[in-house]
Amino acid sequence: MWIVLKIAWRNLWRKPRRTVLTVVTISLGLALLLIFFGIGDGGHNQMIEAAVRMGSGHVVIQQKEYHAKGGIDRLLDIAQKQRAEEWIRDMEPLFPIQHILMRTYASGLASSSDGSAGVQIIGIEPQSERVASRFDDKLIAGDFLDSMSGNEVILGEGVAQRLDLGVGEKMVLMAQGAGSTEIQSQLVRVKGILRTGLEESDQTLVLLPLAASQEFLNLGEGIHQVAILMSHSGPSTQVAEMGKKRLPSLEVLSWGEAMPELVDFIRIDNGGNYIMNIVLFLLIAFTVLNTLLMSVLERGKEFGLLHSLGLTPIKRFLMILLEATFMAALSGLGGFGIGYALHLYLNIHGLPLDLFYSGELSAVGVTFDPVIYSDLSAGRIFSSLALVFLLTLTLGLAPAWRAARSGNIHLLGRT
Amino acid sequence: MGSKEMILRLQDVSRMYEQGQETVRALDNVTLSLEKGEFVAIAGPSGSGKTTLLNVAVGLDRPTQGKVWIRDHYLNSMNTHALARLRLEEVGFIFQSYNLVPVLNAEENAELILLLRGVPRQKRKTAVLQILEEVGLAGLEKRRPSELSGGQQQRVAVARAIAAEPALVLADEPTANLDSETALSLLKLMEKLNQEHATTFLFSTHDPRVMKRAHRIIHLVDGRVDRDEPQPSHG
Ligand SMILES: Nc1ncnc2c1ncn2[C@@H]1O[C@H](COP(=O)(O)OP(=O)(O)OP(=O)(O)O)[C@@H](O)[C@H]1O
Ligand SMILES: [Mg+2]
Repeated sequence: MWIVLKIAWRNLWRKPRRTVLTVVTISLGLALLLIFFGIGDGGHNQMIEAAVRMGSGHVVIQQKEYHAKGGIDRLLDIAQKQRAEEWIRDMEPLFPIQHILMRTYASGLASSSDGSAGVQIIGIEPQSERVASRFDDKLIAGDFLDSMSGNEVILGEGVAQRLDLGVGEKMVLMAQGAGSTEIQSQLVRVKGILRTGLEESDQTLVLLPLAASQEFLNLGEGIHQVAILMSHSGPSTQVAEMGKKRLPSLEVLSWGEAMPELVDFIRIDNGGNYIMNIVLFLLIAFTVLNTLLMSVLERGKEFGLLHSLGLTPIKRFLMILLEATFMAALSGLGGFGIGYALHLYLNIHGLPLDLFYSGELSAVGVTFDPVIYSDLSAGRIFSSLALVFLLTLTLGLAPAWRAARSGNIHLLGRT
Repeated sequence: MGSKEMILRLQDVSRMYEQGQETVRALDNVTLSLEKGEFVAIAGPSGSGKTTLLNVAVGLDRPTQGKVWIRDHYLNSMNTHALARLRLEEVGFIFQSYNLVPVLNAEENAELILLLRGVPRQKRKTAVLQILEEVGLAGLEKRRPSELSGGQQQRVAVARAIAAEPALVLADEPTANLDSETALSLLKLMEKLNQEHATTFLFSTHDPRVMKRAHRIIHLVDGRVDRDEPQPSHG
């Protein structure tokens, strides 16, 4: 068996230029594949992150049917809020949780002397929301709300523009309160202006301190949503599933369930990437097949010799598969080396997309950072390597079969 | 003669090739046998069936009619795999050209059959170094085929064939690519090994000078044994 290994390895270096070229081609293909995965996953994770921080959180708890129907009256009362908090406390040792955010939601109208605009009024707890949603980075004027804030609001950039409002100026909020059809109204003062990166938010967002919103909307102690932010989005579904079991009377959703359009977008985008991957695979496949077939075809006499010396067809078959394996291993090493180095660079420095596009980058309402940071999971690396190996070995089968068969060329005479 | 060990036996062997409409009779009712230690040449003009005879004798090709034995192995009833195994155990080959695996050096080439047979490493090394010395290649063990002359390459092939101490060494025009000086010295080497190891040799040739060194000559004409005669000057 060793001799087969030895011959296979040395055969690889018989035409060093061809072997090196093949290995380099496969390596580059694999490296590109890894980078595509890294950038693709990185971009998607950034989108999810942005959407999750500004929107639903990784997991949300709300009243049954609130997701589908909304409604100012679908409130979590004190007892329900407590049960939700208990569950979160029990779960925390298993899944590191960064923030628990209490929120109220209402649709309403904001008016200034310059006109009025339909808005989404969100009641928040200023301290935790400020850190969780990284509002300090997004504030383009004024200050964020604090614990002392009463009837003060933060506006999305678009709202401020439409109503021509600046920091310190006053406006009127109107909305339907809970438990009645009466319209409530409240005079508030602009404390700051935000650019969130979420298109819809920027056009409609009005942030109000939770207590002020509860009073304004007649909610009592009630809230509409408990949002959970975790350190990363990975276990969202798992956590949501646990919540559904533990809190059967409430609605517990993962970010994917809360934002199905984002999930769809990522799926479609991945589909596009897979087409790229197929092109790369074809490139690799063609190179491997070409090299192996050439080297088998030009070695007919050698297989004849090995055959008459007693090297069985199985061993000749194995010999070619071993050559393919060596090639895959070298390429895997090279491709992983190059790909991972590029990934590390792009993970730290990012890929500035504004090199390729100008203007805002947005998809499904999420405007995202024009710099994408590569994110490469062990699973992606492993499956890419496995694919290159499988592909090379599979493509080695036909040449190996030929090598096993071509031993029947008689070496005796017939020159 | 009858008391000696039988190495190869062909009985009424014919081999037909279909060539379009007509049938070529490459071997026509050949019967012959070789005993242990014989040194036999197959002579005959081009196309007379020398190569076909050698191929059929060791199961690289199958006869259309007739029976073949190597020692007590009946080749007709063996499958391809068993035949490969048999060649590995019982037969050494020396080809006209392209005898050596290009990526292995002289020593590794000579060692190849022992290795495939599973002979332990130490035994292998000793046997190979000794045989390379015997064929006059001491000092060239590490050279690859491309770094050896044609004659030296054939000597490596002889060393490989002999090292495994097969019952039968088969050679199809082993000297055809060599100048007559080198050819003769290769023949002398084969003869020496034949004497010292009592290995049976069967080789084909055109060359009268090579033929003369054989102890027995089988003349083929149109696939038939025309004459089968011992050379009185030898054993
Ligand atoms: N595979 C084959 N298919 C068809 N005909 C063949 C085949 N092999 C040999 N022959 C024919 O059988 C006859 C004997 O061929 P063979 O090669 O045995 O002769 P040879 O004595 O070895 O000739 P040379 O001295 O030229 O090597 C020739 O007529 C040849 O054309
Ligand atoms: Mg011939």
